[in-house]
Amino acid sequence: MSERAAMAHNDGTGHAESEGFVQLPAPTIWPLILALGVSLSLAGLVTHWAITVLGVCLVLPAIVGWFVQIFPHERHEPVAVSTQIVPISTEWIVHVRPQPEIEPSAATTGRRQVLPLESYSLFVGVKGGIAGGIAMTVPAAIFGLLKYHSVWYPINLLAAGGFVSWASESDAFLAQFHLYGLLAGFAIHAFSSVLVGLLYGAILPMFPRRPILTAGFIAPLFWTGLLYTSLGILSPILDARINWLWFIVSQFAFGLVAGFVVNLQVRVRTPQFRALPFAVRAGLHTDAPRVDESLGDKNK
Amino acid sequence: MATTTAVDLTSQTKPKKLLLQVAHDWLTTVDHKKIGIMYIVYALVFLVIAGFMAMLIRIQLAVPNNHFLSPQVFNRLFTMHGTTMVFFVGMPILFGFGNYLIPLMIGARDMAFPRLNAFSFWISAFGGILLYYSYVGGSGLYGAGSAPDVSWWAYAPLTEKVFSPGHSTDYWTFSILLSGIGTTGTAINIVATILSMRCKGMTMTRLPLLPWIYLVTSFLVFVAVSPLTAAQIMITIDRYLGAHFFDTQAGGSAILWFHFFWIFGHPEVYILVMPAFGFMNEIIPVFSRKAIFGYPAMVAATVSIGFISLSVWAHHMFIDGLGAGGNIFFTAATMVISVPTGIKIFNWLATMWGGKIQFKTPMLFATGFLFQFLGAGLTGIVLSSAPMDWQLNNTYFVVAHFHYVLVGAILFALFAAFYYWYPKMTGRMLSERLGKWHFWLFVIGFHLTFDLMHVPGILGMPRRIYTYEAGRGWDSWNMLVSAGGFIQAIATVIFVVNMVWAFYRGRVAGPDPWDAWTLEWATTSPPPDYNFAVPPSISSRRPLWDLKHPEDVDSHYEY
Ligand code: HEM
Ligand SMILES: [Cu+2]
Repeated sequence: MSERAAMAHNDGTGHAESEGFVQLPAPTIWPLILALGVSLSLAGLVTHWAITVLGVCLVLPAIVGWFVQIFPHERHEPVAVSTQIVPISTEWIVHVRPQPEIEPSAATTGRRQVLPLESYSLFVGVKGGIAGGIAMTVPAAIFGLLKYHSVWYPINLLAAGGFVSWASESDAFLAQFHLYGLLAGFAIHAFSSVLVGLLYGAILPMFPRRPILTAGFIAPLFWTGLLYTSLGILSPILDARINWLWFIVSQFAFGLVAGFVVNLQVRVRTPQFRALPFAVRAGLHTDAPRVDESLGDKNK
Repeated sequence: MATTTAVDLTSQTKPKKLLLQVAHDWLTTVDHKKIGIMYIVYALVFLVIAGFMAMLIRIQLAVPNNHFLSPQVFNRLFTMHGTTMVFFVGMPILFGFGNYLIPLMIGARDMAFPRLNAFSFWISAFGGILLYYSYVGGSGLYGAGSAPDVSWWAYAPLTEKVFSPGHSTDYWTFSILLSGIGTTGTAINIVATILSMRCKGMTMTRLPLLPWIYLVTSFLVFVAVSPLTAAQIMITIDRYLGAHFFDTQAGGSAILWFHFFWIFGHPEVYILVMPAFGFMNEIIPVFSRKAIFGYPAMVAATVSIGFISLSVWAHHMFIDGLGAGGNIFFTAATMVISVPTGIKIFNWLATMWGGKIQFKTPMLFATGFLFQFLGAGLTGIVLSSAPMDWQLNNTYFVVAHFHYVLVGAILFALFAAFYYWYPKMTGRMLSERLGKWHFWLFVIGFHLTFDLMHVPGILGMPRRIYTYEAGRGWDSWNMLVSAGGFIQAIATVIFVVNMVWAFYRGRVAGPDPWDAWTLEWATTSPPPDYNFAVPPSISSRRPLWDLKHPEDVDSHYEY
């Protein structure tokens, strides 16, 4: 909504002010009576019909009463305002942590710091996920060729998670080409790569300093561990036939490529960075603050 | 923090009123703050009642072969407990906070439809009263009347006339119907308020995350509560006029009821948990002294959770024979929710990361929320795979899972919200010392109860059994689970004591006790009837920061 529209709506209910008074909606009993009437009409069905009659008798005048409250003019009540200048006080006590002596820089003298200084955008993770997903197919295909002489085997295995009827099929069946297997396997793979990438993107801002370590190694290890423990539940057929050695290899392929792609991306400067003087942002000055200088707002 | 703004003090200096006058004021009020407080108080009353019922259930299950309760009473207790907690504690308390906070946070003077607001409140409240009236209806108080005993999802055909004669099921149906009307009304009101009443300068990209989340949640309410209401009307027609929508003997479909119920039921859990996210979005930044990390990603995640949660309902129906295609689709859809949820969790962590965290009570509860919500998500993933669910469905594992969400996440977030906004609502601070006792006892009790409850579930203990034989390996677990329940009850008593004590004796809060940034803190505590003497006008997401630090305003940092 534009600012002007917001302004126009500001007094939507016509709470106009006049000389030290504010107009507020006048109190009214009719909503209560109407609610009581409706409730009693229902309650009569479980108790006694007379209660329903009583309920209906309340509903009718309540509707009329409410109507009269609003038409032709909404009823208002002036409430006196006494305007006085009062400080917004706080008794918040801030414990100042002992801090190491550090050279004053733009950020340390500024009153607050928004951490982290720079980070990745959420969608960098998605890009990494797509790239990693593509990379993952290479070791998977090699594995299929070596073990079953077929590149289709891993894809069909993945697809079998979605086709319950495939659960009892033989290895030979899975080694053949199946169009539906390809499509389903592709869909599952693409979908999960993107999702993992998205989560990745959410986690990366937490580790702005070692993206390669995080994205390339720690995260894939984490996913693999998670999958290792839960695959039996997610896709029993996959779990029964999977070769974990090759699986981990392909996870690392995912992680390394995803990590590489992530590292190629430009980091997003967080607001804190943008608040630094231009000379620092442009790299003309070298006193850009290090993230690990634990600072607080020194405004107290 | 010497900053000034135009506020007034009239609300503190009003003369004392007669009791009758006070009652009249509250009954006729259309003020969103009073309505919000009434919602919260009514939900707290039901919280205590339903909590007491939970204690009775846990006493019954603490030891094998127990005859503390009769089977019939047991059925009624878990039905009333579940129904009350979802419809008359969870929803009203969240709408209470929403009612109170949204106009203040967007710099408005009231909701868009103040009278509809009052109506919505009263009709929900009467729904709750009708539900409990069932105890005196029918065969009266000592025979426990006609309290419903069909559980909170009221599966057909159990709820058909043949299997549930008498009026107990009708009480359930009608109270849900009434609360559904109220909920829909409030949702309409919230959407209209947020879309049309924002103060000058509050664009949608400057809207605090809490109203953002209530906006999405309210849309979910429209979409999810309508099928529920339709189903209640259908079952009523079945029962009163002899239709056969869900009557399997006459060609009706029980599965149809499951679909109707869960197409409401699953989004419902998000209707409950999303406001909890909203509280986190306000509390974590303030107590970390940092702006929320990734505001746009948070908004995007909220919206996508809203959409996805509408497409996963049948994960409650894996054992109903949907067929492999259905099971696979709903397994996948359910797991996809973990992505936006994960984004949120990481953004909260990134907000805390490098911040100057202060573990005041609200922040303690927020931290508990983070851990426990993560745990709940993980057991949710376990359940969302159909093969696991075939094993675990209808065992205590499921009970443990959803209590992890409902208690570990939602209730913890609510406690955090209470400690955080109580000063705004009453003008007084809750005691930090009692708050810390409350927190630690509750954490211990919670984990004792619900961590251990997974175990008898895995060992095959079904839910909804009223007693069990000794020697199945469930005994000692159940004893510990019950003990944990009592620790939570004690913690809750401390909380109630704290609230009552603080109301009269608590330290005076002042307008902005937490040195926070959103608009609700820019007025007195409690705020005057008209909220703001002069409607505010803002230029960044943290308007109070700008007010306090004119030399370093927030808009420079916004993105
Ligand atoms: C984090 C993602 C979540 C996932 C993946 C998930 C998954 C599931 C699944 C698959 C079930 C079915 C269990 C069964 O009946 O066998 C279930 C049950 C349940 N969940 Fe969740 N859930 C999640 C979050 C939540 C939330 C946020 C809430 C509440 C606010 C919640 C409350 C419940 C409830 C009440 C049940 C029990 C339903 C019943 O009584 O049959 N869940 N959950
Ligand atoms: Cu669900």
